[in-house]
Amino acid sequence: MESMNSPSSLQLSIETDERSAPDERKVWRRRHLWPYGYMAPVLIALALVFGYSFVEVVRYSFYAGSVGQLTYVGISNYKELFVDPQFIHSMFNNFKLLFTVPIVTILALALALVINTTFRGVRQYRAIVFLPYILPATAMGLSFSYLLQGNGVLDSLLKTLHLPFLIHDWLGSPSWVMFSIGGVIVWQQFGFGVVVFSAALLAVPGETIEAARMDGANWWIVQRKILIPQIKRIIEFFVILQAIIVLSSVFTYVYVLTGGGPAYSSSVMEFFIYQNGFANGSIGIASAGAVVLLAIASVFIAIYLWARSRAAKAAG
Amino acid sequence: MNSTVLHGDAASKSTRLTSSLKRHVTIKFLSSFCVVAMILGVAALPTAGPAGAASKKTSITYWFWGESDIPGMTKWMQQRIATYEQQNPDVKISLVPQSNTTIIPSFTLAAQSKTGPDLDTQWATLPTILPALGGSVTPISNYVSKADTSHWLNTNENTYKGKIYAMPLYMIGVPLVWNKKLFKKAGLNPNVAPTTWAQFLADCKALKAHGITPFGMGNQDGYFGAWMFAIYEKQMLNSISQLTQGVAGTGNAETKLLGSLKSMYTSFQTLIKDGYVNSNVESLSLNQGWQLFPQGKAAMSFTTDGNALSWAKTIGEANVGAAKPPILGTGTLAATYDVTQSSDEFITSWSKNPKADAKFLEWLHEPKNMIALNKETGAFPADNQFPLKDITDPLARALDKLDTSGTSVWLENFIPPQIDSNADIPAGQLITSGSGSPSQAVDLWKQQIALWRTQQPTQFKQFSAWASSGS
Repeated sequence: MESMNSPSSLQLSIETDERSAPDERKVWRRRHLWPYGYMAPVLIALALVFGYSFVEVVRYSFYAGSVGQLTYVGISNYKELFVDPQFIHSMFNNFKLLFTVPIVTILALALALVINTTFRGVRQYRAIVFLPYILPATAMGLSFSYLLQGNGVLDSLLKTLHLPFLIHDWLGSPSWVMFSIGGVIVWQQFGFGVVVFSAALLAVPGETIEAARMDGANWWIVQRKILIPQIKRIIEFFVILQAIIVLSSVFTYVYVLTGGGPAYSSSVMEFFIYQNGFANGSIGIASAGAVVLLAIASVFIAIYLWARSRAAKAAG
Repeated sequence: MNSTVLHGDAASKSTRLTSSLKRHVTIKFLSSFCVVAMILGVAALPTAGPAGAASKKTSITYWFWGESDIPGMTKWMQQRIATYEQQNPDVKISLVPQSNTTIIPSFTLAAQSKTGPDLDTQWATLPTILPALGGSVTPISNYVSKADTSHWLNTNENTYKGKIYAMPLYMIGVPLVWNKKLFKKAGLNPNVAPTTWAQFLADCKALKAHGITPFGMGNQDGYFGAWMFAIYEKQMLNSISQLTQGVAGTGNAETKLLGSLKSMYTSFQTLIKDGYVNSNVESLSLNQGWQLFPQGKAAMSFTTDGNALSWAKTIGEANVGAAKPPILGTGTLAATYDVTQSSDEFITSWSKNPKADAKFLEWLHEPKNMIALNKETGAFPADNQFPLKDITDPLARALDKLDTSGTSVWLENFIPPQIDSNADIPAGQLITSGSGSPSQAVDLWKQQIALWRTQQPTQFKQFSAWASSGS
């Protein structure tokens, strides 16, 4: 067997050394570029699904009519949007629903803090709280329709409790309908918030809490000075997520509860887009509405990204 | 030396690593390829497998609607399809029932991509004619002989430039129904319906005074308001062209139209303000609101023939009266009744088997099927071959008499669907919810007509041409 330090071995190692540089480059390339190859199908799919759709939506927003009968109208659709009372009303309704964000966040955080201790049945309790979030929209719509309609279950209950001044047509009155929809959103999103915050609280190291307790911190101080600051990033994330949800994912609530009525009083931007794009086939105005909605939602996404980068900088 | 050895080691490791990576990559590539091939293979199976033989069958997808008009309609259609498939084993018909809220949007979407149903149900006149002018409907008269279409009733609702675009299936009238027991309880003559608006309001007053909800309807989906438009705006007009020219904006026709709309909405508002309609009208859909009548919670309602017959079974035929809606307007059309084929059936322009589609639709009009339609659902077939003597039920006879008493118009059929959904429906909701005045309702019409003209320029041109043709 030839020794490694024999002249022929030396010759081989020099030759190998000469070959090694390009080989290493190949290896490096394969190691670093190959993952992109794996990602390529997803990137192509994303480009097709989101990129293509986005370009098409922007393009359609400059046309009037239905697909197959399109007429170029420049920025007319955008001009019409901002003089159309239905769109403006819909946009304000989305902004009104932003008030549900602090309510959901505070309620969910409060409950998550309360149940962040081990007591009998805590897991089951968390599951029950989460239940509304996984209910199908149609079931939820049907239940709340019966509950909130004029002379419905809620009104009958108020009547029984001798509180007639509180009786309203909760879904049929333009003055109350947005409160009702907001209430249903809070009811459904609350469980999601509890689960998110509970998971974040469980990840807080027990030693930190122990140390605070040993230093004489009471329950309230532990919550306020230790736990809440520890899950600050999650709270920020949840708030932004909820804001985006009430801006761009509340169509189901409106559709199943009120159909946008009465007289557009509960319409939101998504409903406006659906009504024009699908029911009326006015693809141009619907696309312009979608672009405006995307722009508004992007503001919230930008705020979130800015908050994250600021936090990263602060962490060094 | 050591360094040389080390170099040799590194090179060897590098070589091993390269070949290992190559093997690894090759294995991954081959396994990925196998997975993809398997998926593709599975995906290809239906065409190569036993279903491949089934693909020889003529497949018809039918988006159908009718249950809201006539309870039992979907079941009747399912039974017809089963019979037809037995008689024609080479045909497979897939029925996809539609709802009030999906009938227009689903087809609008299908028409944009030219995919979806081979046969479709749509509400009559403009909801059918406008897609037809947009190239989404094949005229049924291209495939069904004149001898056969001559038996169909109300084909004028879907005829343009000599072509019949859709087939009627049944006719419905929209009568005023009243509960004779509740009328009696309120001291009213149970056998006499109000014939004028003033009498109607007087009856409402008497009923309300006895703690009875005079009129039961639902407007969460906006259809009560749309029906008030169809029945009472019509009564303000002398001709349909007053409406269509107003929408098209010919001369001062729009101003005149808006004026008559204001009168209609003012009367509608009185009905609501005086508390003659159930207080939860705005949170009940039309169908939910209707249930107040068979439940004995409302004394009167506007409904369809099919529902009137169905309710008579619930509360007893002797307790239900049916008559023409009370007269409010002074236009020439006030004398007409409110009968329409309501919905119609047509062949889509992208259907691959229009002949097979037409053959099936034609078959539905065979006398035995029309008789079954009447027997199983109580609907009045839209076919003059149907033996009227077969109608023995007294209420059904009374309704049929109303339906065939003279000229009929359902005005909602004559406005473009976008104006129907963006102006007609919300304007009615402004009134029923008390959130808007008649002037605001009219302003909404004006604004939405203007928006429609700019948002749908091609449709507007087609509509104007259709309106000026006097179809």
